[in-house]
Amino acid sequence: RGSCGPAPPCRGPALPAPSPGPARAVPPLRWQSTFSQSSFSQPGPTESDPGEGQVFLSESCVKRLLEIAEGSEFLRLQVEGGGCSGFQYKFSLDTVINPDDRQGQGGGARVVVDVDSLAFVKGSMVDFSQELIRSSFQVVSNPQAEKGCSCGTSFSVKF
Amino acid sequence: MLVRAVTGPTARRLCRSRRGAAAACFPLCRALLGVRGADAAVFLQGLLTNDVTPLAEPGAASSALYAHALNAHGRCLYDVMLYRLPGEEPHILLECDSSALDPLQRHLKLYKIRRKVDITPCPDLSLWAVLPGDSSLPKSAGQAVLLAPDPRTELMGCRLITKKGADPSEIIPGSEVGNVQDYHRHRYKQGIPEGVKDLPPGVALPLESNLAFLNGISFTKGCYIGQELTARTHHMGVIRKRLLPVCLSAPLPPQGIPEGAEIQTEAGKPAGKFRAGGGDLGIALLRLAHVNEPLCITLGGDKVKLSASTPEWWPKTAAK
Repeated sequence: RGSCGPAPPCRGPALPAPSPGPARAVPPLRWQSTFSQSSFSQPGPTESDPGEGQVFLSESCVKRLLEIAEGSEFLRLQVEGGGCSGFQYKFSLDTVINPDDRQGQGGGARVVVDVDSLAFVKGSMVDFSQELIRSSFQVVSNPQAEKGCSCGTSFSVKF
Repeated sequence: MLVRAVTGPTARRLCRSRRGAAAACFPLCRALLGVRGADAAVFLQGLLTNDVTPLAEPGAASSALYAHALNAHGRCLYDVMLYRLPGEEPHILLECDSSALDPLQRHLKLYKIRRKVDITPCPDLSLWAVLPGDSSLPKSAGQAVLLAPDPRTELMGCRLITKKGADPSEIIPGSEVGNVQDYHRHRYKQGIPEGVKDLPPGVALPLESNLAFLNGISFTKGCYIGQELTARTHHMGVIRKRLLPVCLSAPLPPQGIPEGAEIQTEAGKPAGKFRAGGGDLGIALLRLAHVNEPLCITLGGDKVKLSASTPEWWPKTAAK
């Protein structure tokens, strides 16, 4: 996988200060989100299937979302076919929840993934990574993903 | 890189596959897969080497596109021709090797996820290749479903799509139905690969298969599967091997030449590998450095001599 450069400084007293150098950064605090079927405007939601999976949010992801989401906006993560390696992540700010969406909350931030995309990203973590080349939401440590492209947007799937 | 255009009279001279002045229509062993829906062009754009956006507009019905679908490692999977059927809603036909229809359909469905497209085969349509005789081919489809110049090179004439069971000689005035073996001989003489035998899935590399010379790849479009290796090779690498037409000398081995047979120079240096062919013609992946030397293949105890040639339709700067 392409290198991401030095990690942003981690916040929170529980973590040691990151050491400089080429070693992998200390992972940031995670906010675990449990996924449940949308209970927004849909009457009578059924229990979500725990086998559908869940996605974790990093502390920097939550922080960034709290900064930028206005009103009822949430972060939507979708997986599309295409991209250098076959599948690619697409992030957007959305306000509409659909019946086949699954959502997770943590620390006041919301992330929504449709059930088809969730199959590709379950067990992953969404991070907001700040680097010299760009600052962006990224999906990191996706257990389904095999090799990816060097910009981190595209991935192929382990079969 | 500009491909020098091979214009009218030269094309017809090189195209003539039979004696006589009639155009010839060849029934092709290729299948048609329809991709229909609002997202059709966007969907295919991320999966194919060529820029599909010209087919996103209605009114593109008279032109075809050539492209490959690659795997994530940059190797060819399927060679396809794309056509747009008339109509407001995008309905794109993909032409592929008949044996690749099911794998291609699975490949597309794997990457479809939530896109608004329907992927269905079109068994009610037939595909023909039309090579011109002395007169030029008609520009419009008339009774046919679609008629378009072959986007790879003028030497390949046109592609014609008709309803199954239609007689193309009624649609193209003055034409006759030809023997598809003549079509393949014409292809191999020109060194134009087509289908899974010439382009084994997971083995062939797009640039070595002359995809750029055949107008099948865009280096200015966004990401597609397999783009990283392909773009990197194009911008930074040197292409030392390419598919080239070869001609075998008599006596020909009765069982033909197996795919992958090693080709050597007379001095015994490795020069490449045979890919596919028929009779005394074929197509082989050869090191460009050895193209003009006498070559041979050792089969059992016998040595088969062969020679390669640089196709006329390659750009003049190609032999690097």
